[in-house]
Amino acid sequence: MKKIILLCSLFLALQSCKNAKENSELNNDNNDNNEITDVSIYNLPSKWTTQNGQDIELKSLKGNVLVMVMIYTSCKAACPKLVADMRDIESKLDKKSREKVKLILVSIDPVTDTPKRLKSFAIENKMNQDPWIFLRSTEDNTREFAALLAVNYKQISPMDFSHSNIISVFNTQGELVYQQEGLGVNNDKTINKIKEEAQKTK
Amino acid sequence: MKTKHEIEFKMKTFFCLVFAATLLSSCKKNEQAVNYAKITAAGQMNAELTAPPMVPKPIGDRKAMKLKVSMEIKEQEGTMTDGVTYTYWTFGGSVPGSFIRTRVGDEVEFHLKNHPDNKLPHNIDLHAVTGPGGGATSSLVAPGHEKVFSFKVINPGLYVYHCATAPVGMHIANGMYGLILVEPEGGLPPVDKEYYVMQGDFYTQGEYGAKGLQPFDMNKAVKETPDYVVFNGKVGSLTNGNELTAKVGETVRLFVGNGGPNLVSSFHVIGEIFDNVHLEGGALINKNVQTTLIPAGGAAIVDFKVETPGNFILVDHSIFRAFNKGALGILKVEGPENKNIYSGTIQDGIYLPEGGTIQKMPNTETTKTATPKRTLADKIKIGKEIYGTTCFACHQSEGQGIPNTFPPLAKSDFLNADAKRAVKTILKGLSGEVIVNGKKFNNIMPAQNLSDDEIANVMTYIYNSWGNNKTEITPEMVKEQR
Amino acid sequence: MQKCIFIIILFLAQIDFIAAQESKMVPIQEGSFVPLYGTTSKKPIVVKSFFIDVYPVTNEQYLSFVKKNPAFRKSKMKEIFADKSYLAYWKNDADFGNANPKSPATNISWYSARKYCECQGKRLPTMDEWEYVAMADEKKIDARTKSAFNSYILSWYEKSKTYKNLVGKTFKNYWGVYDMHGLVWEWTGDFNSIFLSGESRKDKTEDRNLFCGGASVNATDLMDYAAFMRYAFRGSLKAQYTTRNLGFRCASSTNITIK
Repeated sequence: MKKIILLCSLFLALQSCKNAKENSELNNDNNDNNEITDVSIYNLPSKWTTQNGQDIELKSLKGNVLVMVMIYTSCKAACPKLVADMRDIESKLDKKSREKVKLILVSIDPVTDTPKRLKSFAIENKMNQDPWIFLRSTEDNTREFAALLAVNYKQISPMDFSHSNIISVFNTQGELVYQQEGLGVNNDKTINKIKEEAQKTK
Repeated sequence: MKTKHEIEFKMKTFFCLVFAATLLSSCKKNEQAVNYAKITAAGQMNAELTAPPMVPKPIGDRKAMKLKVSMEIKEQEGTMTDGVTYTYWTFGGSVPGSFIRTRVGDEVEFHLKNHPDNKLPHNIDLHAVTGPGGGATSSLVAPGHEKVFSFKVINPGLYVYHCATAPVGMHIANGMYGLILVEPEGGLPPVDKEYYVMQGDFYTQGEYGAKGLQPFDMNKAVKETPDYVVFNGKVGSLTNGNELTAKVGETVRLFVGNGGPNLVSSFHVIGEIFDNVHLEGGALINKNVQTTLIPAGGAAIVDFKVETPGNFILVDHSIFRAFNKGALGILKVEGPENKNIYSGTIQDGIYLPEGGTIQKMPNTETTKTATPKRTLADKIKIGKEIYGTTCFACHQSEGQGIPNTFPPLAKSDFLNADAKRAVKTILKGLSGEVIVNGKKFNNIMPAQNLSDDEIANVMTYIYNSWGNNKTEITPEMVKEQR
Repeated sequence: MQKCIFIIILFLAQIDFIAAQESKMVPIQEGSFVPLYGTTSKKPIVVKSFFIDVYPVTNEQYLSFVKKNPAFRKSKMKEIFADKSYLAYWKNDADFGNANPKSPATNISWYSARKYCECQGKRLPTMDEWEYVAMADEKKIDARTKSAFNSYILSWYEKSKTYKNLVGKTFKNYWGVYDMHGLVWEWTGDFNSIFLSGESRKDKTEDRNLFCGGASVNATDLMDYAAFMRYAFRGSLKAQYTTRNLGFRCASSTNITIK
């Protein structure tokens, strides 16, 4: 008798969503971090890996002004231009701002862009140091992150992706404050925004 | 002495030349284009948006300002003509959409709102915008959301705006168009009355007059064979109680647009001549024009002074569109007659709008339909509608007829003497001389292609109006005479 | 003995309750087709076999989901995951008001739709998978050339408030799936993989600066207006958007049955 009741209750317990645990974690996080608002990307629990093979959560980037772009290393057409645009932005930052800014390149092709591949790309492009960070994660997390940035992308052949070209700026709380769309676009506004946000830090 | 004269003469010529030179140079200055992009806007206001046929107040002397325009998109069912409904996609709840009135140099902050109940995303392309897509690139908005973008109007003129979301033709065909006016500095010359009229072609699965909610027909739209060509989104939008009005001696200005999607309009007002036409809505003014071409996605501003009373009919002069597809509106002018300009006794030319029913010569076959039972009040109501589309053109709105041409139906001895004969007249037509209320008439009335029920209704209405003897006609009485 | 039977009955009743929450799925066999958007050439792409929900997710199903997942309740939802109209027609966290329990759940963002499917051990269908199932009518796998089929879909675009209808009332297509057309728009997992700039007249030309490689990914059949409008709708969405006419259903690469 007792055994049956035990079995039943165990069965019932298993029926509830397996992700309930994750959700309670989310709730706990909210309670701990009063500072992040509802629109902060730090609400995303996804895990990412840097070019150095280090696993991080986005949260760890809190406190920095983030300049993010989504590319893939085998891209021949736009990505070199996007990277150049990012470099241009970096060069125009003054010393004080640069301390508070991280420039992040996220891969939309995590299958090809392993941390190792990201590392060699970083070295090739002389971006293997602060304030540059390369990130990759699972395909699912990548799609979710792109949706957040309103970056559209699609794999059109084993080696090729088509994707929109957007550079996004997040403030220290992880809120999206500005987006620059297109290649070789005048980046004065972007740079001013970065400086503005950098100066706001305590 | 001679030298003194010579000197005087030379001085005079010299001064004349200088004077002439300054005159010429000032003329040249006037010809230089004003760079409207450099006008600074100061202050802010909310734009007054109006539903057709009304327009917002003229801008008058005001300076360029920051103008906030709030436009809501609603997908809603409306009436195309009696018994026929259509799902319109509208800017501001009307077809055409709300009229926007601006001054050159204004900076317009455009808020485009897509109602949450709508199914589809929309955007807007205003021909007054200088910028990519005319605003369409920046305004794609999903249902339940709002997009804001801003533009400076730097060219005076009358411009079309429309939705440009794929498939563009379908969005326009469903009524997503309107007009935006950019007045020059100081505004357009003042007139007494201003109205907003916009032509559009509609494509339905059923043919003209087929009852019920008619879906859009893409094939007909591609073939450019519309079923309805109308002003302001529906048949009768400017007739039957909705006429535009003016008084004798007033100047009337019409802001006329053509949303298309396909047809070009040959816009004409019967009985009037346009004193001024802003060709294609631009700066070039043509004078004394009878019929002006308005391209699809284009507009024109016409103005004229009304000198005599009467009903002046707005048409697309591709005439079958006016009489068989609905491109017909009325400007009703009241006031004292001006016999010099128009004697008024004989109407200039006979005007026979056939409406939706097919006119046939006397003694031909008619179709059969099931006849439901109706109350007297019902019959009168339906009969009035039928009268308004089929009979009123000749017999006029109060049954008064046209002297020497079409006999009156009001207090008509001919009508009241013999109801059976009246029914036969509608069924089979009538030709030859008749005497009505003491006057002779000798003309041809074509047989009307109406059902027993429709004839019974319209005749009951006629007998119950204008002092007639209140006979009630039944469908059976009509059937007897076929 | 009686107590045992009583408990077994309770146990079985519980299974029924859970079964009601799991949605029925049908298999879709592997096939290929040329989608309207998303390919560089007009060559067909392959859709591997998968399973898809027969009906879109209903209000009552979504209610049991939010009961178990407090973070996705109306009052707790964060703006980054769903905009302010999330579940706008619901009276409160646990009450969908006057809406019918068997009507499709709408005013749901992409993030919440994904989470719902994830909780069921499923996922959202990809755009290609969804379009592949949607091109079928009652009898054929690919009915896109049939004008009656396209007319039916186009006429739905003009009917208002179809989100109030019950699921399963439109036609059952070749695969046994209902309501791919005629009820509500549906989220797909990769809705953000097409490139419509909103200026649809320009989308035919190359704009390498906006979209890397995107210009080549253009519409393959200009007469497929019904599909055009679906893609235009997707192009206007962002992941946090919620709207009254937009619901979803789940898919899976393997069959999810009651365990």
